[in-house]
Amino acid sequence: MSLDTRPADRPASTRAATERPRVTARRVALRRLVGTGLVALVVGWSLVRSLSTDGALVNTGGLRLLGRLLAAVGDPATSPDFLRIVLDAALTTVVYAALGTAGALVIGVAGALVLSDATWRHPPGRVVGAIRLVLRGMLVGVRAIHELIWALLFVSVLGLDPLVAVLAIAVPFGAQTAKVFAEILDAAPRHPVSAMRASGARSAAALAYGLVPAAIPLLLSYAFYRFECAIRSAVVLGVVGVGGLGQEMVLSLQSRNWDEVWTLVAAVVVLSGVVDVWSSKVRGDLAVVSCSDWSGGSTGTPRGNRSSWARWSAVFAAVGLVAAWFASGVSWAGLVSARTRELTVRLVDDLLPPALPPGGWSVLGGATLDTLAMAVLAMVVAVGVTLVVGPLATRVRPVGTDEGAARLTRAPRLVGRVGARGVLLVLRSVPPTVWAALALLVLFPGVLPGAVALGLYTGGILGRLVAEAWESMDTRPRDALRAAGVRSGLAALVAVLPPSSHQLVTYTLYRFEICVRDTAIVGVVGAAGLGRLFAENLSVFRFSAVTTLLLASFAVSAASEVLGRRIRRAISA
Amino acid sequence: MTAAGPAVRLTGATRRFGDRTAVDAVDLTIHQGERVALLGPSGAGKSTLLALLNASLRPTSGTVEVLGADLATLTGPALRVVQRRVGTIGQRLDLVDQVRVLHNVNAGRLGRWSTGRSLLALALPRPDPVVVSALEAVGLGWAVHERTERLSGGERQRVAIARLLVQDPELVLADEPVSSLDPSRASEVLGLLRAATPDGTLVVSLHQPELARRHCTRAIGLQQGRVVLDRPADELDDALLAELYALT
Repeated sequence: MSLDTRPADRPASTRAATERPRVTARRVALRRLVGTGLVALVVGWSLVRSLSTDGALVNTGGLRLLGRLLAAVGDPATSPDFLRIVLDAALTTVVYAALGTAGALVIGVAGALVLSDATWRHPPGRVVGAIRLVLRGMLVGVRAIHELIWALLFVSVLGLDPLVAVLAIAVPFGAQTAKVFAEILDAAPRHPVSAMRASGARSAAALAYGLVPAAIPLLLSYAFYRFECAIRSAVVLGVVGVGGLGQEMVLSLQSRNWDEVWTLVAAVVVLSGVVDVWSSKVRGDLAVVSCSDWSGGSTGTPRGNRSSWARWSAVFAAVGLVAAWFASGVSWAGLVSARTRELTVRLVDDLLPPALPPGGWSVLGGATLDTLAMAVLAMVVAVGVTLVVGPLATRVRPVGTDEGAARLTRAPRLVGRVGARGVLLVLRSVPPTVWAALALLVLFPGVLPGAVALGLYTGGILGRLVAEAWESMDTRPRDALRAAGVRSGLAALVAVLPPSSHQLVTYTLYRFEICVRDTAIVGVVGAAGLGRLFAENLSVFRFSAVTTLLLASFAVSAASEVLGRRIRRAISA
Repeated sequence: MTAAGPAVRLTGATRRFGDRTAVDAVDLTIHQGERVALLGPSGAGKSTLLALLNASLRPTSGTVEVLGADLATLTGPALRVVQRRVGTIGQRLDLVDQVRVLHNVNAGRLGRWSTGRSLLALALPRPDPVVVSALEAVGLGWAVHERTERLSGGERQRVAIARLLVQDPELVLADEPVSSLDPSRASEVLGLLRAATPDGTLVVSLHQPELARRHCTRAIGLQQGRVVLDRPADELDDALLAELYALT
């Protein structure tokens, strides 16, 4: 019942192994030196770029505001009226996330049926091949544009309709889901379906009996993972003005009601934490897949046993979706109304042909470089967070049978772990828009505040991914070394450090690709880069420049994705 | 039963994969009610020949007629009508591990069911007499609601045979169904396969001459995609087999 391990790959890899030049100590040292040097160079350049502004960097006036905010932590707003607002906003956020995820699943399933090889009876012909190529390209383009940018575009057609939030989540998430679903379907064993077809079964029935049962645990697991992400996205989208916790946060920050900010932060953290725990329990029961697997792009293996927890969660989710649909008041009417059609035509008309933003190439180039520098520095912050908090958040498996020693250190470790996980949860639950608003209190607009804001948020995600990966690491080599009499510190250094640093590097590169896209979020609230330029041009309806900026963002994220994938493959080789 | 006429007629049937010829200009007629043992070394083209007979592969050239229909000229519903009269049990059994035994047995009836009925039976599993009696016939009456992956290898094979029983085919194709079984089990399985099509046709590839003699009426030997031996099963002797399996 194991998934297909693609034996076809094996000859190729052995061939590659024999042809690969011999690895010598000098080669390794050289490779590390060049790698470290390049990273240092890039980080140094980013730092110089972020610090070289004309005016001051730190806004001393803002420090007082930040002080007041921190002082209000012990006294969050708890008036019944405000709590009702918070509850309403939280519900709105959940409803957007749920409906957005549902939409993404619909798009994902439809896309996967076309993209997957497993759903076709014969190897697809030229026409289907062409359709798939076009679809693949469209999906890449859709994915490369951030949810927030989608939301801004949808707002300019639909107005402040709840549909905007739902679509802004459903469209880019759907593109991602289609890709992952197609990979899952292709990894499932295919011979039962062909056998059913050979005995005369219709295609739909053969897929329902032969393919879907094998793939469903992984599909569901991914759906829940998407919902986790959708909650965070729904909070971020609040900044557009469609409602939810994110919008309340921005309002409270702008009106400097610090006590309200803390109540909202608490609400976001609790909501995000509950969904994370629920979803990771479901995912753990359904399939041997962790969050880090989904984000690292590897598909796991379905677990053998049936989980009643997962089944009830699926039922609950289905009922919840129906409730969410009626509670949200989302209607398709807005999508097909004459006004929408007219505005869409006008928007498309305005978007074309693309033109440079005022300031020309130098502004566009500057913003692109700002975006890259911001993403690099954000990753520096995120890696810093991960290195400090990650080890504390990792559950260390006890060594050997030394029960007494393990018990001695257990309680402080537990406290440390819960605390560290809490920190990571807060970092990733508070939307980057809010981190940016806070950073902009202290720092003048530019690359630096954006990088700090994005870095804190990404640190919360990266820390969790890496801690999860560290936990699932094989500790037997270390135990074997200890058993052979090597001192424990040295054993850990030799057996644990290399694989764990490898995982850190892999996930850092992966998050960097996402971070480049996420710069749009902090840009929209005024930090710097392409996102800021985008928001500026959109607010004055300079749509031809908007098109150029979309193309530029697409090029930057596509380039970073290709580069990231190359480096990841080179490292793992 | 359909009107008399051959169950299978191959005329110059050839199947190539790239520059390798798996089945090479085979002319062969199998009459209804015949039980054919397909013998020959690995790679002789037995599996490919069976795949041509249920239209999961199409011939590169030549014609393949099954139950009176030329498979190469048929597509869509017309092809399905022929395919549902042909039951196949492959080496891998082609069971879906994650579902109940009931669904794997019902998979044999998908060719006759509408899409709606198929999906309904998947959503609301209800064992009907046909499924129950098929499972009882293979000694698995207790396993209707069991998850397929929980069963042992032998039990899984019998589930696959129960699937054949509910399909009730006129032609049964079996690709090395007994290669991993001990002799008494192997004979039992072949007996079940014969029961799956009491007065129909059986084409089974195997390596054991004594099983061929006991359960089949005719033996066909393949070598490098060509028919090199074709005679009544009871005429099989060791000399013929040694020649067939000799690596030349």
